[in-house]
Amino acid sequence: MCAVNLDRYLKTEKQKKFSYNFLQNAEDYQAWDEIKFREEYDGEQVFDIKAEDMIAYAEGVSDPNPLFNNEEFAKKSTYGELVPHPIFLTQIAFWCIGIKSKGNWIRTPGARNPGQVIEFYEPFHVGETIHIKQKAYDRYIKRGKYYLTFQVDFYNPKNVKKARWLCSLVLPKTKADIRKFVRGERGVAV
Amino acid sequence: MANKLTFDSVQVGDKLPTIVRPVTQEIIWKNAVASLDYNPVHIDPEWVKTAQPFGIPVTVCHGMMTMSYMASVISDWCYNVMGKIMRMESKFVKPVPAGWTITCNGVVTEKHLISPNSNYVVVELTAANQHGETVAVAKAEVMFPDA
Repeated sequence: MCAVNLDRYLKTEKQKKFSYNFLQNAEDYQAWDEIKFREEYDGEQVFDIKAEDMIAYAEGVSDPNPLFNNEEFAKKSTYGELVPHPIFLTQIAFWCIGIKSKGNWIRTPGARNPGQVIEFYEPFHVGETIHIKQKAYDRYIKRGKYYLTFQVDFYNPKNVKKARWLCSLVLPKTKADIRKFVRGERGVAV
Repeated sequence: MANKLTFDSVQVGDKLPTIVRPVTQEIIWKNAVASLDYNPVHIDPEWVKTAQPFGIPVTVCHGMMTMSYMASVISDWCYNVMGKIMRMESKFVKPVPAGWTITCNGVVTEKHLISPNSNYVVVELTAANQHGETVAVAKAEVMFPDA
């Protein structure tokens, strides 16, 4: 089980509600060899964007830009409002996918991040409620590693597409491999 | 580089201001909380001693944290003139353990002249450790408001 207690860092409402023990529900995570194509999935929950969420992301990536963390400064800027850090959508994705929705492989212990592609269409705004649609985009083997890519699209309530994340990870191949990682054993070849 | 940054003023070869960020376990934990990505390879020093997904017995920072650092190079450069990233693609080539320092640089490598609402530049970004070894690369397409 996760031996780390991070309660001291939790500030926002979402941070306090979110389960940060990724080992706990790993039995329910989709494994690489279980992925189905041609199906589209909703997220587990929607993301109501609050100023504290944007500010927390900027702080978490050590970015002191006042457009990201100072509401008063941002209101007086040409933007007229708080601006999200470009990669803020990471927080939205993990929140929306949650624990149970398809796409929960993103939480897999032992996963490795090979690189990402993000397309930005419209900015996120405080006060918007974002939902996601996701589907398997690619699955392949390269140099003995098992890659999976999901297409995660982010929408506002008017179904305006805000962004697309082609989210990729190198994953343990099977549920048995995931279980090894949960036990603290290496479940894949490096 | 001109004082007022615009699409017209940006030239291929322009270098963006460098960003230097230390990586500590404390910073990784804070990033985990901010991104809601609590994978144990990032947050759990005991677990990673034996699980070793990267073949090393220590935690590593989130790839998205490194990508965020590279994105900050862009936002520091052009967000004050309403520039915006349209697309960003990253590749992580080396895991980044706590204790390293990451330096991110960007250079304009392409200028696409299409039409007033479609013009954009491409910025190639690198993230390197304190030994100058590349840990990540990225490419970002950036648009500016019409003058």
